[in-house]
Amino acid sequence: MRAPVRLGAAENTLIAQLNEAGARDEAERLGLSGLPTRRVEAYHYTDLKLLLRAVPPLAAGAGEALTPPVDIPGAFRLSIVNGRPHIAGEVPKGVIVGIAEGAALTERDDVLVRLNSALARETLTLTIEGDVGPVIHIDRQTTGVAAHAPSSVRLFLADGARATILETYATSDAAHVANHGGFVQLGRGATLTHVTVDRSARPSAHLATTEYEIGGEAKLRTLTVHAGAGLERAQIFARMGGEGAHADFTGLNLTDGGQHADITLEVRHAKGHCSCKPLYKQIARGRSKAVFQGKIVVERDAQKTDAKLMMQGLMLSDEAEILSKPELEIFADDVVCGHGSTCGRLDEDWLFYLTSRGIPQREAETMLVRGFIAELLDPIEDEGLNAALQGVVDGWLAGK
Amino acid sequence: MTTPMLEIRDLHARIEDREILKGVNLIVPKGEVHAVMGRNGSGKSTLSYVLAGKEDYEVTAGEVLLDGVNLLDLEPDERAAAGLFLAFQYPIEIPGVATMTFLKAAMNAQRKARGEPELTTPDFMRAVKEAGTALRIDSDMLKRALNVGFSGGEKKRAEILQMALLKPKMCILDETDSGLDIDALKLVAEGVNALRAPDRSMLVITHYQRLLNHIVPDVVHVFSDGRIVESGTKELALELEAKGYAEFDEAAA
Repeated sequence: MRAPVRLGAAENTLIAQLNEAGARDEAERLGLSGLPTRRVEAYHYTDLKLLLRAVPPLAAGAGEALTPPVDIPGAFRLSIVNGRPHIAGEVPKGVIVGIAEGAALTERDDVLVRLNSALARETLTLTIEGDVGPVIHIDRQTTGVAAHAPSSVRLFLADGARATILETYATSDAAHVANHGGFVQLGRGATLTHVTVDRSARPSAHLATTEYEIGGEAKLRTLTVHAGAGLERAQIFARMGGEGAHADFTGLNLTDGGQHADITLEVRHAKGHCSCKPLYKQIARGRSKAVFQGKIVVERDAQKTDAKLMMQGLMLSDEAEILSKPELEIFADDVVCGHGSTCGRLDEDWLFYLTSRGIPQREAETMLVRGFIAELLDPIEDEGLNAALQGVVDGWLAGK
Repeated sequence: MTTPMLEIRDLHARIEDREILKGVNLIVPKGEVHAVMGRNGSGKSTLSYVLAGKEDYEVTAGEVLLDGVNLLDLEPDERAAAGLFLAFQYPIEIPGVATMTFLKAAMNAQRKARGEPELTTPDFMRAVKEAGTALRIDSDMLKRALNVGFSGGEKKRAEILQMALLKPKMCILDETDSGLDIDALKLVAEGVNALRAPDRSMLVITHYQRLLNHIVPDVVHVFSDGRIVESGTKELALELEAKGYAEFDEAAA
C-alpha cells in the first residue's frame, strides 16, 4: 500500500474545480495521485507539484483582448480568449470554422490532458480543404485577473489539403495557469506547417498539449517556440498512422533568468515506410532551465521506419541548465533509427573569426545565435511568418 | 622618417605556462611586403594570432604599433577597424551564418567604428561582385554559409575576398599557401598582388619558399624559437630552401 499523497493548495483548487465541473472521477484520481513529481518519469525534469504552487480560479469569461503577440500581414486570424473561441472576419476559401462543445484531446494518461478534457467547455474547430494560401493564425489569450484557463482546438486537414497554421499564446501580466489542448488530424497526402509560439507574460504558467494523427503520404512540419511564460511545458504526441508519411518536428526553448521551459515529444510509428526528423534546440541564459524529452516508438508493424532525433543545446551563462533525454523504443526489426544530443557554449574560435573582421563581440554573438537557430526558421516558407519568428528570436536576444 | 605601418618591439607572449614569442622585433614600412619564414612550431602562427588579439595568448612584454596606434590595448574588432587583417591558415566554417550577411556585417561594423556611413545594399553588392570576379568567386559560393563546404582553395580565395573588401592597411597572411595546388596558389597570389599599394603593407608567413615566387617580398625574415634571427632580401628565402633551417637554429641558440 502506498502512503496517501499530501495535497497542496494547487491540487486542492484543481480538485474543487473538477468536482464543480462534474468530473468526479478525475477529481478522485487527482486526489489519490496528486500532481506529478520528479518520480513520475514523464515529469522527471518538470516537477509540477513543485513548480505549480497555486492554481487561480477558473476563468469566468472573456476579458479584454490583448494585442496579438505577432502580426502576420494577410493572415486569417481567429482568437480564443479565456477558453472562448471568437470567429470574425472573412473566412478564406477552403476553410470551415466552427465551435464545438467539450474538448478535443483524446483519452490519455496524462494529468494536463485529463484536466483539459474535463474542464475545456468549447473547442474551436477548423476543417481545411484544398490549398489554403494565407496563414491561419489562432491567437490564444488568457486575460484579466489571474485565471486557470483551459482552451481547445481541433484541426482537420482533408486528403491532399495544404495549410500553414500559426498558434500564438499570450497572457496579461498575472499568475495565470493556461492549459491548452489541440488535436490535429492530417488526411492522406495533406501538408501542414504548424507553428506554435508562447509569448505569455513571465508570471504565467503555459501548458500545452498537441496531438497529431498523421495519415498516409502526409507531410507535417511543426515548430514549437517557447519565449514567454515563467513555466512552459509543451507536450507533443504524434502518431504516424499511414504509410509513407513524413514529419519534421522542430522546436526551440529560449530561456532566461528564472524560467523553466520543457518540450516533451513522443512520436509513435504505427505504420511502415514513414520518416520523422525531430530537431530541437535550446538556448539558455541567466539562471534558467531548458528541458527536452524526445521519444520515438516504432511499433512492430512499422517496418522501414526512418527516424532521426536530434537535440542541440547552447549555454549562454554558467548558471543555466540544459537537460535532454532522447529515447528510442523499437519493436520492428527493419528500421533506421538514431538519436543525438549536443550541448555547448558559443565557439570561441568562431567568435574570434568574426571579431577579427571588425564585428563587435555582442554583434558576433548575436550572429552566431541566429545562425544556430537558422536551421529551424529557414524551412518556414511563408515570408511574413518567417520574419515574425525572426522578430521573436531577435526580441529575446535583445532581452525583451 | 615616416611612421612604419607595423612596428613590433620586444614582443613576448605565452600560452598557459609556455613562452612562445621570446622577444620579436620587426618593422614593416608602408607599402612593403615582408615574409616571415620558419619551420613548423617556431611560433609564426602565434605571432599572427597575438597581433590579431586572440584570447588564448597572454602578452607578457613588448609593444605593437599599427601606423602609430598601440594595438595591444585594442579588442580584436577594434584592431580590425584600425586596419589590421589576418588571413587565417585555417578559415573557420560557421554554419548558419550566410557569407553575404557576414561580409556586410563586417564591412559596416568597420565603417561604423571609423564614423563612416553604412554601405547601401546596391553599393555592397557591386563591391562584392567586383572583388569576387577577379578571384573567380561566383554567387553560388556566396550564397552558402560562411566557409561551409568550401574547398581548401575556395576558403583561401574567400579570405582574400574579405581582404579586398575590407581594404586593410596591414595584412597578415598566415600560411596562405597551405593546402593549395599550383593553380589555386597562382589565383590567390594574383589576388594578393592586386592589393599591393603604397598605403598597404603585408606580412606573409610561410614555411615554403614556393609562395614567395608568386608574392615577391621586399624583405625576408627568418623566425626561429620565438624570435627573428636573420633578415635579408628575397635571396635569403632561396638560401633557406637550399640549406634548411638548421643553420639558423644555431643563431637562435
